This record gives sequence, C-alpha cells and structure tokens, in this order.
Amino acid sequence: MAKKYDHDVLIIGSGAAGGMAAWALTRLGVRCLMLEAGPMPDLEKDRKLMAAYDLPYRGFGKPGRFPHVTQASEFDANLWADEKQNPYSYDPSEPYYWVRIRMLGGKTLRWGRASWRLSDYEFRGKDHDGFGDNWPIRNADLAPFYDRVEPMFHVSGRNEGWRQLPDGKLIADDTPDSSSIQRFRASAQALGIPTTKPRRATGALASSANLLLPAAMNTGRLTIVPDAVVREITVDAKTGLVNGAHFLDRRSRRDHHVPSRVVVLGASTLESTRILLNSQSPRWPGGLGGGSGVLGRYLFDQFYVKGVVQCAVPEARGGAGGRNLMGGAGYIARFRNLDRREPKFLRGYAYDFGSGGTPPARVLPLYGEPLLKELENLRGAGFSMTTMGEVLPRRENHCRINPDVKDAWGIPALHLSHTYTDNERAMAQDSMEVAEELCRRSGFEVLAKHSQMVPPGESIHELGGCRMGEDPRTSVLNGFNRSHEVKNLFVVDGSSFVSGGSQNPTLTILALSLRASEHLAEQMRRGDL
Amino acid sequence: MPAPAPAQQPAAAEPTELATRTPDAVADSVPRFFAPDQFAALRRLGEILMPAATNRPGATETGVAEFLDFLLRESDGGRQELYRRGLDALNQRARQQYQKPFAGISAAEAEPILAALREPWSYSGPADPFARFLTAAREDVFQATVSAREWVEAAAGRRRGASGMSYYWRSQD
Repeated sequence: MAKKYDHDVLIIGSGAAGGMAAWALTRLGVRCLMLEAGPMPDLEKDRKLMAAYDLPYRGFGKPGRFPHVTQASEFDANLWADEKQNPYSYDPSEPYYWVRIRMLGGKTLRWGRASWRLSDYEFRGKDHDGFGDNWPIRNADLAPFYDRVEPMFHVSGRNEGWRQLPDGKLIADDTPDSSSIQRFRASAQALGIPTTKPRRATGALASSANLLLPAAMNTGRLTIVPDAVVREITVDAKTGLVNGAHFLDRRSRRDHHVPSRVVVLGASTLESTRILLNSQSPRWPGGLGGGSGVLGRYLFDQFYVKGVVQCAVPEARGGAGGRNLMGGAGYIARFRNLDRREPKFLRGYAYDFGSGGTPPARVLPLYGEPLLKELENLRGAGFSMTTMGEVLPRRENHCRINPDVKDAWGIPALHLSHTYTDNERAMAQDSMEVAEELCRRSGFEVLAKHSQMVPPGESIHELGGCRMGEDPRTSVLNGFNRSHEVKNLFVVDGSSFVSGGSQNPTLTILALSLRASEHLAEQMRRGDL
Repeated sequence: MPAPAPAQQPAAAEPTELATRTPDAVADSVPRFFAPDQFAALRRLGEILMPAATNRPGATETGVAEFLDFLLRESDGGRQELYRRGLDALNQRARQQYQKPFAGISAAEAEPILAALREPWSYSGPADPFARFLTAAREDVFQATVSAREWVEAAAGRRRGASGMSYYWRSQD
C-alpha cells in the first residue's frame, strides 16, 4: 500500500510566496505538500462575461458585504475573502482594512503587477538615515534572485541606472510616450524628479496559479490540497522542532493533522503571523518562534493617496486627444531623502501616473446636463496621479490574537493595531504639493487634489510581523527567512520584511522565497535538516 | 446496462445552455422602502441630476428611483437615515420656497436647493448632512443610470467600446 504522505516539506499558502517555494523546491528534488485555505478556481468555468445591469445590484454590490474591501465590485465579490467568515478586530479609533483572497494562487490572481526591486536605501536604511534597522541582506544578496524572477513573470520596463531603483532583467519597453506624457516628464526633469516607464508583469494572467504551480506539478513532486484551513503548526515537545500542522477542511470543518520534516509558511503577511501566534505551546506561550517578543510587531505597509491629483489636458478636450497626445503611463521613483535630507520627514514616496480616460464625475462641481456635457468634453482627456509612500516600521504597530473573535472554523482571529504618524502625513502633504506643481507646469488643469491617505492595510501591501534580522533578540527570522528559534521553520512571505520603501512588494516576496527555498533545499541535501 | 437514448435526443453529456433573462429585464420592480412623498422627491431629483436627452435615457427611463429604493432598503441604518432625512429636506425646502413638494418644482426652481452640488469637491465631503445627502445621491444616481441596460445600449449606439461588460466571478461552494 502506498504511503499516505511522502513529502519532505509542508508549504502553507499558494500565492507568490508559497507558489515560488513549491517551484524552487520541487525543481531541486524536494517533495512538497501544499495546503491552501481556499478553493481551486477554474478560470474558464468560474468567470463569465456579464453586464452590470444583469447583476442583482446593478454593479453596486450587496451593501455591507465588504466594509473593508474598497477594491471589491459586484463582479468580483466572490473572489475576495468573505469578511464574515474571516473576521478580525481593531480599536474603532484605528481602522484597519485587511484585504484578502483565499483561493489557489492567492492575491496573485488580482495583483497590480507592478514589479520594482528594493535597493540598498531600503536594505541598509538605518545606515542611510539612522532610523529603524537594516535588513540582514543587501541588494547584492537578492539581485541574482530578482534576475531570475523578472523573466519568469515577463516583467517589462525600462532600466535607468538609478541607485534607488536597481535595474532588472526586463522586456525593454521602448514604446514612444504620448505628448502629454512627454510634457509631464519634461516638467519632472526640470525639477530633478526621475520618471520612467511602468515596470510590470505582462501576459494574460501573471499568477502563481499559471506561472509557478503548473511547473512544480510537472515535476511530480508537488501535491496540492485546496480547502485546507491551517489552525496551527505543531511542535515536538522534546526537540522543539516543528513536526506538522493541524488544519480543517474548509467545507466540512473536519480536523486533520499532517506531519512534516520542514514547514514553509507563505500564507501572506498577516495570515502567516496569525498561524504562528496561534501555534502556542509551553515552550512558546506567545506563539511559535516568538521568544524575542517581536513576533507580530513591526507591522507596516505602504500608504496610498489615491488620485492625489485629477487633471484634464486642455488640448484633449472635446474629443481632440488622439493617440499622439493622450495615453500611456509612468512611474516616479523615490526622489526625497536620497542625497539631501528633507526637514519634514524621513524616507520617501513614489507615484504612478497615467494619461487618458475620463476624470471621475464626483470631482466635478456640476449636475444635470452641464455635468453630462462636461464629462463628454473631458472624455479621454484625463491625467491622474497616485502616491505610494514608505511607512516607517514601528514596534508599536502590531497584531495579536483576539481570543474573543473566532473565524468560521473556530480559529482565533487577529486584532490589528496600526496607525500612521506625522512622518507619513507630512509625506502625503508633500506629495500633493509636488504633484500639483508638476501638473501645472505641464499645462494641465488641476480638477481636484487631496492628501488623504487610505486607511492602513488598504494598499494591500501589509508587511512585517515576522521580520528578518541578524540579532535573534530583535527579529524572528534570519537572513534566509528561517526562524531563529526553530531551525526547520521558514517564513517566506511579506511578513519577513524589515522595511518596505515605496516599491510594490510582490517582486521582492518572489525573490526572497526563491532564495530561501534554494537555501532550504541545499540544507536538506547536506543533511542539515 | 441502461437502455440507449432515443436517436433524436441530444446526448446526455452535451447539455445545452439555455438563454435566460433577469427579473429586471422583464418586469418592473416594486418600491417598498421610501414613503410616497420621499419616493416622488427621489424620482424628481433623479430627473434633475441625470436628465434624458433625445439620444440617451435619463434616471427616470432607467428606473433609478426604483433601483435606489431597493438598494437603500438593503443598506445600513446610517445610509438609510441620510437618504430619508435628505428627501424630507428636499420636500420641506421646496414647500418653504415654492409651496409645492419637490416633485412639483422645475429644474430652475431646484437650483438654490441644490446649490451644494456646485461647491468644489473635497475628499472628505461636506460636513452638512443635507449637502452630504446631495453628493451621495448625485453619485448613486449617476452610477445607477450609466449601469442600466437602457443607458448602455444607447451609449453603444453613440460610440464603440461602451459595452459595460466585465468578468463576473461565480460563487464557490
């Protein structure tokens, strides 16, 4: 009779982090079992082209279904994790918007695909300005892994040779800029502000579900179990090593335990941290690998000011904006606090900008026929910018288990405590002023501007909680994403970040997971694990 | 062994997808949430905010008041209160100024009552509850109108690419 389990490594989570771990480990001969809390979507059968007017709520969605997922529409409501089944808590004065997808492929089914590398301004942030902590690795350590991840995700963009945004192995984006983008770039250049092409993963779907998991399955060494909601990781009381995981069937809630030699957690920043916090034992009463007291702490994300300016390109009004004038997008890399110290804040921010489309009706002080005429006049004449700023990692921003709140499977939920400070507020204000100046210098009409950050979590770039570090007294993981305290436990997702800059984090999660997984495979090959 | 299916029957393994319609496409919805004078004010407000033109339906032709009556019935208490009080205020102000309910006044007469909608946009919106109602209603009426079948079909006749279609994710068990 065949053995029920023959895997060497248990991987929890199937998104960017878990998917890359499976890809890397199976390729190197390691047999893996993957547990995914959600179902396996069939992208052919589970999606159907429909019109808003044929949906029950005319595209508005069922009121109150997603109080914290502003991204959810009635079209994709079934894609996002249900908030009633998956509750969490926060103090009413500190709202936190936790946005999740529980499905095979995780959030890579729906990510924005922006793929920027971190630089030594992040990895060595403390060396640069004295705040916080350095990562235990440098750009030189991660660059060879970024080099391999970018081609796997078909990342296009333009290399610029900037220190704050390392070059990549990119599909060269040599497309000409529309003249509105050219004008904007010239205005930025005059102020010494660096602009580049967007850098993003291309292809019809750029997900773990199509780029990582099929290749891992093809090795014959990956077994995927969807609908497996992990409650805790179990520990051998004698050795202190992890020896498996408890999980529940998502649909029946039947309890299971699966043993394993090694556990790789890649369930997302907050879910991985929650699983560790829920994995309590006499040796680790505060959560597995949490002896330093840092587990759950140094939580941060990136703040967004969505639509920091909404503009019109005057020459494009009245339908005059052809392809030569309008269209295209770009990115402004961090330009604050590189060579010169800003008096008002530490670190910096980036922008996405885009030309084309119609500005939203809500920002126009009109109604009735004048509103409809103005919208028709503005069709295709829009130009907008969004700020993405660094949030300083602070010890006091944290998550912990709330024993009074349990999810649909009886698993204790997270309580989140995360606020922004004057540093982030000063950055957001600065970003609005700079954005307005850039647009005015470009000859654009500024229709609306604001500096209001979305609530913590809403950018879906939550990071930290199990941060890496050289010192086991102040960090949870070592430089290879391995628990300082439990040598057969790895955490390979965004929870391992020490700081995040303003670059979208998925590319770095992929590179970290690849690097950690290959290190793990080598340790296993040598018999160290 | 089961008997073979008669020759004229399609094979059981090849189900035919039957074309169906939604309730909204074949029937009128029955408003149940707002009081009659509130509903009348909402319908008139919709006409003023999104008027019809020769090549395009407006809020009335797209059943926006009926739809919002349903949407508000499903919404939280705060939103319901905002709308109910806002619609009452529309009637009250119209009666004060014109001795008629809001449903009976012209668009020109409504201008001073709707003055808040000509104020510059701010992220947090106006502090005054009546102004908040007006900005919420303007956005809802706009969105409900442009999402309606009649609007989308009229827009598709005016320009290409106005299909209003998107991928809908089915529910997982």
